[in-house]
Amino acid sequence: MKQSAYFTIIIVVFLLSTVGRLHAQDENLQAPIRIALAYYQTDEALPLIKVTASTKKNKKFVPVPGAEVNLFINEETVEGFMGRVTTHDQGSASMTLPSKFKTRWDSLISFKFIGTVTGNKQFEDQAAEIELTKARITLSLTEEDSIRTIKASLHTYTDSGLVSVPETDLLLVVSRLLSDIGAGEEEFYTTDENGEVSIPFVYKFPGDGAGNILIGAKVEDHELYGNLKATQKIPWGSPMKADHSFAKRSLWATRDKTPIWLLIFPNLLIIGVWGTIIYLINLVLKIRKLGKTSDISNN
Amino acid sequence: MNNTTSISADKITSDLLPKPFGRPGKIWTSVLIVLCLIGGIAYFRQLQQGLVVTGMRDYASWGIYISNFVFFVAISLVGSLISAIFRLTNVGWSTPLTRIAEIIAVSAILFASLIIIVDMGRPERLFNLMLHGRLQSPIVWDVIVITTYLVLSLLFLYIPMLPDLPILIKKSKLGSGLNKMYSFLGSFWKGTQAQYKLSNKAVLIITIIIIPVALAIHTVTSWLFATTYRPGWDSTNFGAYFVSGAFLVGAGGVVVAMYVFRKAYKLEAYITERHFDRMGKILVMLALLYLYFNINEYLVPAFKMKKAEEHHLMGLFSGEFSMIFWSAILIGMVIPVIVLLFPKGRKPRTMFVMGLFVVVGAWFKRFLIVTPTLLSPFLPMYDVPENYMHYWPTWEEWSITVGSLAGALLIITLFARYFPIIPIHETIEESANNKIEQL
Repeated sequence: MKQSAYFTIIIVVFLLSTVGRLHAQDENLQAPIRIALAYYQTDEALPLIKVTASTKKNKKFVPVPGAEVNLFINEETVEGFMGRVTTHDQGSASMTLPSKFKTRWDSLISFKFIGTVTGNKQFEDQAAEIELTKARITLSLTEEDSIRTIKASLHTYTDSGLVSVPETDLLLVVSRLLSDIGAGEEEFYTTDENGEVSIPFVYKFPGDGAGNILIGAKVEDHELYGNLKATQKIPWGSPMKADHSFAKRSLWATRDKTPIWLLIFPNLLIIGVWGTIIYLINLVLKIRKLGKTSDISNN
Repeated sequence: MNNTTSISADKITSDLLPKPFGRPGKIWTSVLIVLCLIGGIAYFRQLQQGLVVTGMRDYASWGIYISNFVFFVAISLVGSLISAIFRLTNVGWSTPLTRIAEIIAVSAILFASLIIIVDMGRPERLFNLMLHGRLQSPIVWDVIVITTYLVLSLLFLYIPMLPDLPILIKKSKLGSGLNKMYSFLGSFWKGTQAQYKLSNKAVLIITIIIIPVALAIHTVTSWLFATTYRPGWDSTNFGAYFVSGAFLVGAGGVVVAMYVFRKAYKLEAYITERHFDRMGKILVMLALLYLYFNINEYLVPAFKMKKAEEHHLMGLFSGEFSMIFWSAILIGMVIPVIVLLFPKGRKPRTMFVMGLFVVVGAWFKRFLIVTPTLLSPFLPMYDVPENYMHYWPTWEEWSITVGSLAGALLIITLFARYFPIIPIHETIEESANNKIEQL
């Protein structure tokens, strides 16, 4: 009896310890997460930081939705804390540099952004950062003797002022609603020793009502400067006339815009035929009345 | 003209009065009711689960419901052929056939309206057509013209029947439900000169107006197809093609009904072999006319064989639908023409079989007009489940379709049970006139 009691206690202790270990393992089963940061700066606006979170599943990286990522500028401290973003279904999120950092950011030549994931139940703690040097694109659009020219120059900030950046690829584009279209024949143009590119603009794009289009120059995924874009609105497009034909009377318009001829002729037919039907029903009623009158006179 | 000159008015009345069902009549009616109930159960399932219970998918979105609708619209055209055109052209021998033609027209057009609602996934939204319908849409034209034709057909059935109603009142048991119904419908008919004058005027007006309306109903139905740009439907010929086919199936339907009523009610003295002979000749003419339009519809596109039309035409000529296509052409047109060209072929029994051939062939012809086109879209079918590329109706669709056909036959059967299927008064009058002429 005593022996069996000991035996039972040993089994219970063993089971409890096993469950405890399993539970502990569960807690440690946090998957690794990968964070990537990208820097976007357009014209004079405050920069935008894009975060992408992914994890490995079946030997493939898949986006992680709902991951909370803390963003910092320069240092992972309370002073450098920009805010927290949550990734959406495609595993990415973005944040514009809060305006309280503007003065600080204006004074910086080199800077870095840090993204961290901490205290996530599903994923291990993770951090990523990008280091950048401030640069800017200057766009100049000119027209001489009906020749339109796009000129863009790339400069970087140094302690001694702005310095032109040669041998760097620039994209010259026309910004459309959903994406950009190349403004020249080449996909990109390399800056010369003055950090400049220049191309003639020969295309005619549909513009807004006044013919305005948005021409841009950009640097994409540069390891030092990130993503930069400069844009300028100019009336080099063809003015677009809005198609209001749907609002006119037509076969494809709404019922209140039925073509007049289609209102007149079928309705005339309908009135003609149904008028005759009403007349026929009236004749039946007359026949009925005659029968009843004849009944009364017979009585 | 018929051989009723030697028959007395009393005999005509007793011969043509509606009679209670015998054993075959009861079995026939019960079978029709059972088929209607099965159709009702299938429709209930469709209402519960939606159109997913049908074989219709993204491409074949019109199946046998719409084929059946076109068939009903087609057969309803017979009312205007027999009643109106024959009446206007003084075809005297058509008198025993007019009411048969009109009740076929009424029941067919009624079920055409119902089957189109069955084809709707959300039938309660039919009301939206009234509220938000666009006059630009041929579907709205179809709704208008079907309603108009139904009302005119009902009037065309009712007004010429007025002189028969006092006879029915007199012959029915006083105070019975039937007597009350007959009294409600026609107790006011006294047969005075003034009443005859008005009724003759009404009949003449309907006779004239129902012809363009009848042509319109089938032309507009053809436009439901022809106003869309699809292989097989993109034709300026469709209105005439549909009308000629409708006349043929309508005449075939009347021939079948003539034979059945003649047999069931022993009407050999009224629906004679001469009627079959003449209807046989009309069937030959109509079948040849429809054959002519078919040749136009298929030969011309086949001669050009445009890429977009090729899949559709080859599907009909030698592909998936070839069996039904050639059967419909042979059974529905070619064989009846050959058989009915000979006087022996125009005897009642053979005529009945040929009439059935025409009607069955016509039903499948409507299927061939509707569905194969939908399975031959201009843009190829890519990346769709295999069953989207073919169409075969489910048991629910078959049950509802058979139920609707049974329903139309049930209306005709019940009408013949309670109303004279051959006009009594008109037959007596015609017989008297013939006697006078003979004297």
